[in-house]
Amino acid sequence: MPSSTSSSRRLTASDRPGVAQPVPVRDVPEHRWGLLLVIALLLAVGLTGTWEWHWRHYGVVASMRDDAELWARQRRRIDNGDGNATVLIGASRTFFDVQLPVWERLSGKRPIQLALVGTSPLFALDDLADDPNFKGRILMGVAPDVFFSGYEYRGTFLRFFQKESPSQRVGKWLSMHLVEPQLAFYDPDFALFTVIRRQDWPQRSGLKGGLQVRKLSLSAADRQSYMWSKVENDSEYRALTRRIWAQDFNPPAPTPAELIDKEKTLYLQIARATAAIARLRARGVPVIIVREPSTGEYLKFETSNFPRAKAWDVLIARTGAPGIYFEDYPALRSGYELPEWSHMTRASAERYTVELYRIMERDFPPADGSRW
Amino acid sequence: MVFNTLTFAAFFLFVVLLHSLPLGWKVRKVNLLLASYVFYAAWNPPFILLLWISTVVDWYAAQGLVHAERPGARRAWMLLSVVANLGMLLYFKYGTFLLHNFTVVMAAFGVHYQPPPFDIVLPVGISFYTFATMSYTLDVYLRRSLPARNFLDYALFVTFFPHLVAGPIMRPTELVPQFETPRRASMQQLCFGLGLMTIGLFNKVVLADTFLSGAAERVYDAAGAPGFLDGWIGTLAFSGQIFCDFAGYSTTAIGAALCLGFAMPDNFRFPYAAIGFSDFWRRWHITLSSWLRDYLYIPLGGNRHGPLRMNLALMGTMLLGGLWHGANWTFVAWGGLHGIYLVAERRIRALFAGYQPGPLALFGLGLLTYLLVNLTWVFFRAKDFSVGWQVLRGMLGLNGSAKPILPTVFIASVAVIMPLLVAVHWYMRDRTLESALARVPPAVIALVWGLMAFLIVISQGAGNAFIYFQF
Repeated sequence: MPSSTSSSRRLTASDRPGVAQPVPVRDVPEHRWGLLLVIALLLAVGLTGTWEWHWRHYGVVASMRDDAELWARQRRRIDNGDGNATVLIGASRTFFDVQLPVWERLSGKRPIQLALVGTSPLFALDDLADDPNFKGRILMGVAPDVFFSGYEYRGTFLRFFQKESPSQRVGKWLSMHLVEPQLAFYDPDFALFTVIRRQDWPQRSGLKGGLQVRKLSLSAADRQSYMWSKVENDSEYRALTRRIWAQDFNPPAPTPAELIDKEKTLYLQIARATAAIARLRARGVPVIIVREPSTGEYLKFETSNFPRAKAWDVLIARTGAPGIYFEDYPALRSGYELPEWSHMTRASAERYTVELYRIMERDFPPADGSRW
Repeated sequence: MVFNTLTFAAFFLFVVLLHSLPLGWKVRKVNLLLASYVFYAAWNPPFILLLWISTVVDWYAAQGLVHAERPGARRAWMLLSVVANLGMLLYFKYGTFLLHNFTVVMAAFGVHYQPPPFDIVLPVGISFYTFATMSYTLDVYLRRSLPARNFLDYALFVTFFPHLVAGPIMRPTELVPQFETPRRASMQQLCFGLGLMTIGLFNKVVLADTFLSGAAERVYDAAGAPGFLDGWIGTLAFSGQIFCDFAGYSTTAIGAALCLGFAMPDNFRFPYAAIGFSDFWRRWHITLSSWLRDYLYIPLGGNRHGPLRMNLALMGTMLLGGLWHGANWTFVAWGGLHGIYLVAERRIRALFAGYQPGPLALFGLGLLTYLLVNLTWVFFRAKDFSVGWQVLRGMLGLNGSAKPILPTVFIASVAVIMPLLVAVHWYMRDRTLESALARVPPAVIALVWGLMAFLIVISQGAGNAFIYFQF
């Protein structure tokens, strides 16, 4: 395979029908490829450094990428000896508002965080109910608009966990050790197309526009997560995150058929939770259901669309599980800062975790004498 | 293991370093073989058994062929290879499809048969390595080549990781001789190989996954019917996506092999500049189309028995070629459309035998070819015929009340990339990448190379599998 002057025509198998194909010849064009590689590398590193600087200047810090692999690593702990742990399932409020270090300080054990943003926890509840290795305790957070609609933004994570290849596991390990702790821009919110897409493109008539959910949190290797300080401190960014939520607050009036569908969906979720909790209870696994705080316009939207009497109260009655509704407890009801109405700042989340844990231990201690 | 992942980057670095150590040639080949098994097992370890079965069966079948004296015995050894390979392919790739169609046919006759659940995982790359190993036995059977001199060279031919799971589909005569003498990449080859890998990954990660796949997904997986604009943009996006994805894989594979000192054949030759469909198939997935021609079309009679037999052989080859891509009738329809195009083209060429088109006419015929190829992509991409017809109706402007689907950014991406892509194919139509690069100033190459690497990094590809892995 000599390096040679490249010809403009190279025969392929398509030019040689019905014969044994010869050893291919690959030319290397006449350039100093080593030098070109070095220059290209320097350029790529320089451009990447500039990109990284830009995002750090914007306020981004490096953190773990909360993706399917990271979730699978935590889920795998249950099968690898942590079957007696307390497991947190729910949507983003459970993910941001329950602080694992605080919980660990109070209980002596760090819980496993399996809550997923924008995703009903029922798939995880079903999965744990069907897993004989799991003998621990479950805290299930309920964000009404996600839970009672059965919305599963990241519902494929369980299938990923079940099918994850050795290559994917190694890739995540490498990424967690070499890339994610170093590069702030390595986050789906700052991927090239995401950035291009959120520029001010002209709207097509007849197409409902919409702002995509922006980055709200930072995560550690065990999915300990908290609100990104930019949401808390940057008034413009905070206003943007509120506008994003508000897009869904005034939907068009539903038709009678849509109302019936919505009610059916709601009862399906309750029935699914009831069945799973019954299976867990039969195995002696305690489950507690928590409605985490929300405020402002978000709370108004939830109250009008999923009234407590029709949703939460029915869920608690049917499942027979203990429930903590934040408005019932003065210690959970007020005094917390939720910059975009839905999630707490890090400091508030730490205080909230203390109060929540105390209430759970005081009012709903596990029957087997263990601690949450 | 997928090329566009950190796992592969680490694996490849290790393999290149290992291959460059001053070890004996046999030791370095064993290293490559073991590395290739790791490459395959990293996806799903148990399926490595299938790879071994395919390897061992064809090794012994070829040995049997050499020693067999009677034609019947030779045919039996050949059939053993074909049956074993196609048997595995049928079971793992087409088992569910066959069972489903069987129940449909039975139901048509009033027999309601409910088969037990038949949930089979498709071993990645099975269509590629079974074709590679079959070509080994078939070449020996057809007396086109002799068997490999030793099992190690042959096993490495089957398993060599750059081509293992998605081609280019190598023939034994292309690769086995390269294992007979020591090879190590020169610095020029290593660096140029890395350049090819950058081009391949740029195609896959930046063009296919980042800018084109979204538009195709939104149109083809949408709940509603697309209108004229959405239908065309979605389909053009898919035509770009599938090219950039698959040609990107092939280019990366060729580059990876070059970094180790081995040469692999071209698999694409700027197909969207094809003038006519026979030209298209000399440019698109060349190693598959030539495989089908050599081991299916020619044995079916080829063009040796008159126009009718030739057309039947052509249609049969293209229908089976379509089915090779996936266990779904939509793929058969895709192959069938290409078969009809090829038959029609031959007829038209015969009718206008003396016609010499000028440059403008050639360009027009090229664009017509691209347009008609896009119509076939509709059935290739659609998950079923109802979606296919729905998109096709949209492209013909027949979905009158269709609501818009694609936001402006998706339309703009496709509107910028696809004309550029087709223009590049036309510019490169009679060139090779290497001949074109030889004329580009080095500063421009370095600049574009660095920019491509930067765009790959900031695109943050999620390690999406290549489309052809599923085939």
